[in-house]
Amino acid sequence: MKDKIMSLKEAIELYVEDGDLIGIGGLSFWRKATAATREIIRQKKKNLGVVSFVGGICADMLIGAGCLDRIRTSFIGMELFGLAPNHRRAVGAGQIKVFEETEATIALGLKAIYLKLPFLPLRGLLETDILKVRDDIKEFNCPLTGDKLVACPPIQVDVAIIHVPYADEKGNGNIQGPVWLDDDLAKTAKKTIVTCEKIVETEDIIHFQGKGQIPMQKVDAVVKVPFGAHPTSCFPFYTYDADHMMKYIQYCQTADGFKEYEKEYIAVASHEEYLEKIGGIKEILKIMT
Amino acid sequence: MVDYTTDELLTILMARQVTNKDVMIVGVATPIVWSAFTLAKVTHAPDAIFHYLMGNTFVWEARQVSLLWLELGAASRCHRLHNTGECTLELLPHDILTTIEFFRPAQIDQFGNTNNTVIGDWHKPKVRLPGAAGIPDFSGLYSAGQHLYVPRHDKRTFVPAEKLFFRSGVGFVDGTRPLTDYGLIGRGPKFVITNLAYLDFDPKEHRMRIKTVHPGVTVEKVQENTGFELLKAPDLKETKPPTETEVRILREKVDPLGIRKLEVLTGKERAELLEEIIRKEYSRVDRMPPRL
Repeated sequence: MKDKIMSLKEAIELYVEDGDLIGIGGLSFWRKATAATREIIRQKKKNLGVVSFVGGICADMLIGAGCLDRIRTSFIGMELFGLAPNHRRAVGAGQIKVFEETEATIALGLKAIYLKLPFLPLRGLLETDILKVRDDIKEFNCPLTGDKLVACPPIQVDVAIIHVPYADEKGNGNIQGPVWLDDDLAKTAKKTIVTCEKIVETEDIIHFQGKGQIPMQKVDAVVKVPFGAHPTSCFPFYTYDADHMMKYIQYCQTADGFKEYEKEYIAVASHEEYLEKIGGIKEILKIMT
Repeated sequence: MVDYTTDELLTILMARQVTNKDVMIVGVATPIVWSAFTLAKVTHAPDAIFHYLMGNTFVWEARQVSLLWLELGAASRCHRLHNTGECTLELLPHDILTTIEFFRPAQIDQFGNTNNTVIGDWHKPKVRLPGAAGIPDFSGLYSAGQHLYVPRHDKRTFVPAEKLFFRSGVGFVDGTRPLTDYGLIGRGPKFVITNLAYLDFDPKEHRMRIKTVHPGVTVEKVQENTGFELLKAPDLKETKPPTETEVRILREKVDPLGIRKLEVLTGKERAELLEEIIRKEYSRVDRMPPRL
């Protein structure tokens, strides 16, 4: 078996190409692959798209850094802390293309990949304006009952990037808390990068709650990055860093402000340097469960 | 009469809507809704079950509302009764498992159609909002009716149908036909709870009407703050105010840090409260939110 354990730099160099549609796991403030996102920015990838069930700081950083030209999320924001600042600015200025998604269009879009179907039907979206701004989502009548339904197209992700608490060297990933659509993203994407807090034995994965939701046969790279979801959470180890989130939003009030944030926290030599920059051991202990 | 604040009034009125057999869907960043569900659970609806998007889990137990440690209560081993593989598909509202969820629209029209997507033209928005998440999927499907709340009742939020920038949630469409004609199998919007009134929908005209006004609020004031003409229910009366017990349990047990207030406050006051909540929660030694 080929060696899947590698550095973050190698994984992004090998598996993320300009123009790719990236599927980022997690949900707004929770278990986002932020370390991998910062590496994508450092490698100056271009014309990427992001699909996320619920987007947050990853997509927002990529927008700020000019790596994205399209976005597909059902919701993107900073929860009670406010709007996603770079996203709001870029969409207002028409700088990125928005695919207006919903929870179900993404969920069904991924499921359609498994089944090799041109669409999956949904009894939702009827009479909403989503149908006006998405010409690839269409109303139709059910051939069996005649009911009005909506056809949702497949979403083919090029590379899924999922942060998990535990993975083994073969690429089996275990998620202890909520899974959201992360397993579907990993299983339907052409390539999958798993970043993890800890590398464990396969026997451990079997015993963990939920076992291996991310299957080894679909994983190309395993990267150990402790606190690789900061400033978002990684259950069961740590919660999100509210202070850093507020700092991020503060920086991002202007496009230039984001550039300063990028210089300070993203353009760093190593993940260790990032952890020092955000406040080191004191901050880490603050967010540990 | 017992003293209460706007956030407490909203929370308590919303809690009263929960029935004992409901599955209460707790979304992200909606502490008023979470507080309301938790209050209902520890008072009149002990058999209602939480479903946390934060955890994709059905949770039986009630724990104190938390801003920073909610994932522990929602996802930890001892709480996690079931994995719901993917909440969107498994929890589509239907008749067998009565799911209820409170949506907070950025805009709402007289027929209960809502917008959480953009302010301005979608193609070149003045403000791009976070998005409507699952609202476009579910809004037409709720068998228990769509539950809505608006913490700040004003003309920016309550707009006539032609001024709704984007219809991301479907209400009674244009009010002219039964919902089944549009292929919608739900019962449409059921009510809107605001800081001024309890609004429901006229069963014939499918238009929003004033059902009860909150203590100290006049019908005129509600109308002045609404961008379209409200109908009046034939039995229009005053809202039953929060009781001493409801207020006490909410303040002391359910949400002692006042996280729900973040949905109501603005500016400096809100920033200060947010900072205070963050400091208090990070300084907690036992990080699991207390069991109620």
